Amino acid sequence: MNSQSAVMVYEPQAVQAVSREEGLPGDFAIWIFIFAEMLAFGVLFVAYAFTRAGNVELFNASQQTLSQTAGAINTLVLITSSYFVVRGVAAIKRGLSEQCAWWLSGAVLLGGVFVAIKLVEFHAKFAAGISLSTNAFYMFYLALTFFHFMHVLMGMIILGCVIAKARRGGYSARDHVGVETGASFWHMVDLLWIILFPLVYVIR
Amino acid sequence: MSTTFTKSMARNIFYGGSVFFFLLFIALTVDTTYALPKRDNSQNLTPSVERGKKVWEVNNCIGCHTLLGEGAYFAPELGNVYVRRGPEFIKAWIKAQPTGAPGRRQMPNFHLTDEELDDLVNFLKYTSEINTNKWPPNIEG
Amino acid sequence: MQYKSQAVAKPYFIAAIGLFVGQILFGLIMGLQYVIGDFLFPAIPFNVARMVHTNLLIVWLLFGFMGASYFLVPEESETELYSPKLAMITFWVFLVAGALTVLGYLLVPYATLAKFTGNDLLATMGREFLEQPLITKVGIVIVALSFLFNIAMTVLKGRKTAISLVLLLGLLGLAVFFLFSFYNPANLVKDKFYWWWVVHLWVEGVWELILGAILAFVLIKVTGVDREVIEKWLYVIITMTLITGIIGTGHHYYWIGAPEYWQWWGSIFSALEPIPFFMMTVFAFNMVNRRRREHPNKVATLWALGTGVMAFLGAGLWGFLHTLAPINFYTHGTQLTAAHGHMAFYGAYVAVVLTMISYAMPILRGRAANSPKAQVVEMWAFWLMSVSMVFITLFLTGAGIVQIWLQRVSDTPMGFMAVQDQVAIFYWMREGTGVVFLIGLIVYLCSFFVKSESKVAA
Repeated sequence: MNSQSAVMVYEPQAVQAVSREEGLPGDFAIWIFIFAEMLAFGVLFVAYAFTRAGNVELFNASQQTLSQTAGAINTLVLITSSYFVVRGVAAIKRGLSEQCAWWLSGAVLLGGVFVAIKLVEFHAKFAAGISLSTNAFYMFYLALTFFHFMHVLMGMIILGCVIAKARRGGYSARDHVGVETGASFWHMVDLLWIILFPLVYVIR
Repeated sequence: MSTTFTKSMARNIFYGGSVFFFLLFIALTVDTTYALPKRDNSQNLTPSVERGKKVWEVNNCIGCHTLLGEGAYFAPELGNVYVRRGPEFIKAWIKAQPTGAPGRRQMPNFHLTDEELDDLVNFLKYTSEINTNKWPPNIEG
Repeated sequence: MQYKSQAVAKPYFIAAIGLFVGQILFGLIMGLQYVIGDFLFPAIPFNVARMVHTNLLIVWLLFGFMGASYFLVPEESETELYSPKLAMITFWVFLVAGALTVLGYLLVPYATLAKFTGNDLLATMGREFLEQPLITKVGIVIVALSFLFNIAMTVLKGRKTAISLVLLLGLLGLAVFFLFSFYNPANLVKDKFYWWWVVHLWVEGVWELILGAILAFVLIKVTGVDREVIEKWLYVIITMTLITGIIGTGHHYYWIGAPEYWQWWGSIFSALEPIPFFMMTVFAFNMVNRRRREHPNKVATLWALGTGVMAFLGAGLWGFLHTLAPINFYTHGTQLTAAHGHMAFYGAYVAVVLTMISYAMPILRGRAANSPKAQVVEMWAFWLMSVSMVFITLFLTGAGIVQIWLQRVSDTPMGFMAVQDQVAIFYWMREGTGVVFLIGLIVYLCSFFVKSESKVAA
């Protein structure tokens, strides 16, 4: 036991030095999951593309019923929130916990805007009697956007935890792996939407 | 310190990820539940069909046969046997077991009453009308 | 052993092995009935042999999990088991209930068994793997609660490690999902939908947590690799398990009357289910390569590595082969399914229980490891069983491919019974290899009785 803690006292600085000079930001474990996420979404996107190729007219017709305006606003909202997250990470790199927390809170707020708009969209579809079983397009539309929607919620929770810890002074200029990890997840969520929006809402 | 932090991050992802997917699964289950009435032939779930399902269960038919592809692989698929053979054949077959043919796989005689046979046949008819997305590929099941 | 109460694991392991032997004997009976159709008819019809075979499998694995828990939890928690007495009472209740149930299957027509055991009160009998009478199912719940209580109280009063928490979570999940076996609606689609909440969420869900925890425990002991490293990877692996396996349940929902979208969701997520098994194999080999000690129990290490490989092949690879909906359309409910089922169960769960027994039994008998001679005998058992299982799987795969071609794909499909005649040769070869498996199992039993010239000190 004693020798183990002795090892652990010396290790952290070595590991941190590595992550600052090279390697991926945040903890390596999160990147395994980000990889898995990209894999899952990637396959879904490809599946959408293939199915669309076999049902072009159906997909075009159903796609008309989507609100491109809502989608476009949501894209802006997420991109802006990612910018806020970038500012938040920059702040903690300079040891400014309070500022970091404010930037991240802004990002979460924008996330909330995204969620609200999406809920309005979903409600409109369900009220019109559309569900996963209506047709292939709606299956993909609802499945993809709902799956993404849940990731946005998850991202908001993760950022919420980071904000709470930042407010408590849990991060410093030297030690803020959690902030970078949460940021990476949020950027992934944003990136997925940037692919999803044109693919599902726009491309005919 | 970093190593401990990494393990607890992995643990948090585990809890978060599991809850996430469990919730998603529940959402899909709810949707499935709403979608079922259009596919599960439940409008034909009569008391006779219910009794027939009991006959199917207490005689452990699934112990040799498959139903919609699930069960044992010793004897034929029965999800579509109503279409493949018809009610009279099914009843006669069950009454005539075992065949006693040497070396052939044997089915016991379950001493079913006429009512039980009718109920069982109704159950198999109901099963054959469930929307299974066109499974099985052909009549042989 | 470090804690006296770990001794209760021994009867659990012995019962597990005994029931394993019973399972294989009935498996051989069934294998013969596949080709000599009236073998033992009407004394033991095929369906009776089958329910004995599958139920024994599940029960012996449960005895194995319980024994593993009683051994590793006190050691992980650094405290004695909460109640060794309760553990022993639970043991006898489970064993007697199990024995009576099997006797019920064998001695009484199933419909009669149903009538006299309260099936009219709540009909839970007659579904695959859940053939147990109502009273047995209730008994299982009581046994599970008693076991969980004992283990949980032990963890609560001692050190909480990732391994014991993951194990406990897996066991809790096992108990909770078993409750769905009491839900048997008249609606056949709903019946099947929720049946899989027991079966899939067990073997492709919470049981993998149990598997991971046991494997991690044994690897820490035999390799000496830092706990932090092993436990971190345990979390990553089980996360991948649930992330893929929960929605992966959908690969059972393609053709049972559920909506079509399950073909997409089920295919995509279940295609990823091999990932945790792949990671487990890499994990096991990696830890052994990075080992910091030469543990005298070499055969336990062999079992640990074997678990990874066989589980990946049987559950991961063979599972993947028939998980995508367009392929599954043709392979659903064929000998390919049986092939996968056998190697998956052997590779994942039989192997991990035998890994644990291999590690723990010598300690329970007062030594760190068995003598080199005994270990060699056990290694022979490992190879005989594992290689014969690979061949059993290959032969059933062959039977399955021919069956699929003749009965499902062909433009002029043949009837089921005619096709079975066509693939009889595969069944004969499977039965032969099944006998080799039994020989391996007998060699395994012998390994416990090999007299050692020099014992390795505990």
